[in-house]
Amino acid sequence: MSLSQALISAISGLNTTQSSLALVSANVANAGTPGYVRKTADQIATAANGTAVSVRVAAVQRELDTYVQKQLRTENAGASYATIRAQFYSQLQSVYGTPGSDTALDTVFNNFTSSLQALQGSPDDPSAQSSVVTNAQLLTQQLNTMTQQIQSLRGAAELGLSDSVDQANDAMQHIADINSQLAGVNTNDASTALLMDQRDSYIDKLSNLMDINVIQGNNNQVTVYTNSGVQLVGTAASKLAFNAQGTVSANTTWNADPTKSGVGTITLTSANGSAVDLIKTNAIHSGTIAGYLQMRDQDLVQAQNQLDALAAGMSSALSDQTTAGTPVTSGPQSGFDVDISGLSAGNTITINYTDGLTHTPRTLTLMRVDDPNALPLSNTATTNPSDKVVGIDFSGGMTAVYGQIAAAMGSTGMAASNPSGNTLRILNDGAGNIVTVNSVSTTKTATSLSGGSAQMPFFVDGSSAYSGAIDSVGSQITGLAGRISVNQGLIGDPSKVVNYGPSVASGDSTRPDFLYKQLSSASLQYPSNTGIGTTGSPFSGSLSTFLRQVISVQGQNADAASNLKQGQDVVQSALQQRFNDASGVNIDQEMANLLTLQNSYAANARVLSAVKDMIDTLMKI
Amino acid sequence: MTVSSINGTSAAMIQSLVGLRSQLDDLTRQISTGQKSTTYAGLGSQRGVAVSLRSQLSAIDGFDNTAANVNTRINIANTALTSMGDIVTNMKAAIAQSTNVSGINGASQTQSTAKYSLDGALGLLNTQAGDRYLFGGKVTDQPPVASADTILNGDGTRAGLVQMISERKQADLGTNGLGRLNLTNSTIDSVEVTEDASTFGMKLASVSTNMTNAVVSGPTGTPPSVSVNIASGNPNPGENLTVRFNLPDGSTSSVTLTATTDSPPGAGQFTIGASPSATTTNLTAALTTAMQTVANTDLTAASAVQASNEFFNADANHPPQRVDGPPFDTATGLVSGTSSNTVIWYTGDADPGSARATASAQIDTSMTVNYGMRASEQGLRSIVQSAATLAAVTISSTDPNGVALSQALNSRVSGQLSGPPGTQTLQDIQTDLAGAQISINAAKTRHQQQTATLQEYQSQIEGVSNEEVGAEILTLQTRLQASMQVTARMYQTSLVNYLQ
Repeated sequence: MSLSQALISAISGLNTTQSSLALVSANVANAGTPGYVRKTADQIATAANGTAVSVRVAAVQRELDTYVQKQLRTENAGASYATIRAQFYSQLQSVYGTPGSDTALDTVFNNFTSSLQALQGSPDDPSAQSSVVTNAQLLTQQLNTMTQQIQSLRGAAELGLSDSVDQANDAMQHIADINSQLAGVNTNDASTALLMDQRDSYIDKLSNLMDINVIQGNNNQVTVYTNSGVQLVGTAASKLAFNAQGTVSANTTWNADPTKSGVGTITLTSANGSAVDLIKTNAIHSGTIAGYLQMRDQDLVQAQNQLDALAAGMSSALSDQTTAGTPVTSGPQSGFDVDISGLSAGNTITINYTDGLTHTPRTLTLMRVDDPNALPLSNTATTNPSDKVVGIDFSGGMTAVYGQIAAAMGSTGMAASNPSGNTLRILNDGAGNIVTVNSVSTTKTATSLSGGSAQMPFFVDGSSAYSGAIDSVGSQITGLAGRISVNQGLIGDPSKVVNYGPSVASGDSTRPDFLYKQLSSASLQYPSNTGIGTTGSPFSGSLSTFLRQVISVQGQNADAASNLKQGQDVVQSALQQRFNDASGVNIDQEMANLLTLQNSYAANARVLSAVKDMIDTLMKI
Repeated sequence: MTVSSINGTSAAMIQSLVGLRSQLDDLTRQISTGQKSTTYAGLGSQRGVAVSLRSQLSAIDGFDNTAANVNTRINIANTALTSMGDIVTNMKAAIAQSTNVSGINGASQTQSTAKYSLDGALGLLNTQAGDRYLFGGKVTDQPPVASADTILNGDGTRAGLVQMISERKQADLGTNGLGRLNLTNSTIDSVEVTEDASTFGMKLASVSTNMTNAVVSGPTGTPPSVSVNIASGNPNPGENLTVRFNLPDGSTSSVTLTATTDSPPGAGQFTIGASPSATTTNLTAALTTAMQTVANTDLTAASAVQASNEFFNADANHPPQRVDGPPFDTATGLVSGTSSNTVIWYTGDADPGSARATASAQIDTSMTVNYGMRASEQGLRSIVQSAATLAAVTISSTDPNGVALSQALNSRVSGQLSGPPGTQTLQDIQTDLAGAQISINAAKTRHQQQTATLQEYQSQIEGVSNEEVGAEILTLQTRLQASMQVTARMYQTSLVNYLQ
């Protein structure tokens, strides 16, 4: 050992202290930088002949807790998903109005029924008549507006998806770039650490957008997969594409078949050129994108379906007239005659019969269809869970219609015929006794305001009455709430809410009584796509009960979404705190380090000065 | 809870501060609006109940409005019915008084009472509640009954009651003024009274006598006739002959002639002649005079009442039955009038079925009261009809039978005013309405209680208690201040501040 050796050691000490000081300074400066991970210097002693001679900084260490980081990324996705849903639901809640306010859906509905109550008491009062029509218009306008709002929320989700996909592409591209920059670099110096910090921040960004799985590879490389196993980033980035649709309406929904889909879908094209539809394969479960998808394709669609079911229920309850068939016998056979003229598309002929072999009561529903491409109909075309539905194509003339009906009787043993005019005769098998026809009835939509019955097309879909028609595109019910309006004839002549025929007395409350009863207490069945009731046991109840369910379910969903968000926020911020504690910059700690480094610098300098003194002493000799 | 280190970058702390602040904002909103939440989501698990409650409250409110409306209508109707009762009382009094006033003055007094009673009754039947006519059944937008003048005198081409009574009188009295009966002497000792084949006039009910030697027979044959044969010899003085007639309105009248030796005979007597044939001539003459009197009094009164029955038994679905003429005095039957040639006094609703059911009001979810009325209901119609009949018959002050005619008319109308036993009266209608009102009031009381309960429940779900929110605000404020101070202190406690 020599004095010069001590001098070299002291100088190396000064150098490492300066490096460490630089890191402390960088740490303090970046204390507020998002994604910055605290850096520390790894010092090692360099030795010669088994004796430590100097010190140097071997590597810059990132103080990273990867376990917490992984958890944090999972929760980031969950929190983003919950936030998006909570935001959308909070906007959706405003669609239903403030409880008790004039624009709340139930208030508007109640005002309409109240005006009918007033009309029941004073059918002859023109102001009561026009008040019914005005309140009905307010109700339809409310439904129209709510549909617009729901659909514009879906439009917002579509735009959100588009933005999110762009952001995801950006993040993936950066991750891939940094991966390639880090490839082949083996030393962990300050610049490598910074690049990794940057890459982590892009991965964090991506984890907010979707649920991802990050695999740490060799040579500082990472590979990013979706949780379902599709690779997003490797050495190169895959490309996400979203074909955003400009207009989103109740009739445009997502479909796995791109030709039928009315809204955009997310396609992932990997570096080798293969493409996969991420929505179809259900690859994204969480994150902002999943939140948007959930709202656009599920929650908001369901909210729309509920409004549609309400609108359809109101229309049908006031316009549909069910007529029982007249009993008839022919030789040993017996059955019923019904008049099938005046059936609108979507109207039905219901045949209740008992299978004589198993003594099982069954229902066969024949539904008028004007578009042959809509055939065959599913049994869910009606809300009745236990009937078999057969679509009868009316576009080919009546002869063909009777032929189709006879064919629909098929193996039931019943016989259909057309004895005269528009009469349909359904008979049992007579002596064979394998089938009993219990009842046959028709349900027709009234199309005239003064057709002589209390039923009336009070509400219309555009210019025609709503009858629930099904064609190859879909059912008339879809988006009805956005199109429903009060019959123009009624707006022109409000007295039609009382006058159901040519010579109806001014004080005759038959029609107002009917309208009020149908709206307030008549029991209807509602389709299961509203999320209320199931296909097997559909929700049945009055319109006001259904309305209550709708508001209740939506309130419940919004409440749940908001609770979920709050829960996720707590989890996420707790994890973030843990992450910050471990990886963030603690100013106090850095200050303490600063003191140590100052002392160390001073000590090294002291050594230097001592060596100088000693060398001076030597020189004086 | 995560305990964060003493480190200025605690995100959780900032977040909780923001959370506290937004809670405070929400509580301030609650206390100023009194509402727990501005969305259904914020109402908690009972939001569905709140919707139901509001719908129930709205329905009850609707029922109550209807009930209040109907109650007013019933009150107005009741006032009208009470006045109708007063009219009946007045008319009865006038009729009773006229029997005490001798001469033709009584008759004219009764008639003028009848005239203004008719005016009054028709006015009452056209009573409106708002724009709604109460006595027209379902037809509420036009006056259910015509005016008194139109009813009595018709208008333009349409005949009124006066004309119908006059036509009927001509038809009932016949060309000979004997009530469509003919007197013949088939032998010199016999006299026959024969009906004609028409539906009008007097119909023979019976003939009876205690006269010695007289043989009476009938009514027999087609058309029916009665005969009195005294070929066996003259009757003794004091013995009499009675012929009874059925009158068009269902009442009866009779002629009794007493044999006397006086010449000329007094009223209701005939002189016994030298031979049965001379007596027969006297009897025929006396019978003719007596029948003329009956025709001008009882028959005329009965004819007027019957014409009035036909006139008032008409509505949109039942055309009035009129004499098939002219000529009327030889008419043989009735023909349906039309609304273009006859005044239809009642133009309200004429459907079959209960009058009450023509107006109904739902005053509770499963409760309906019926309060409709038709002016053509028996209890109301009989009053109008009585007044109109009395007012329509003209009694000439020079008519020798005037007083008798007036009395015949009064006795018939008087019976009609009280209503025949077993038929509906004014009081029956009032009883029905009272029943409806009792139901309405019961429902109203029930609704008041329900509303109070429901509203309280609703305010529990949707509302806030000012005291509670006030206390919460105070607590929250304290917490917020404390948190802020602690946070501020924490930011200050950094080593940076203590390094020299």
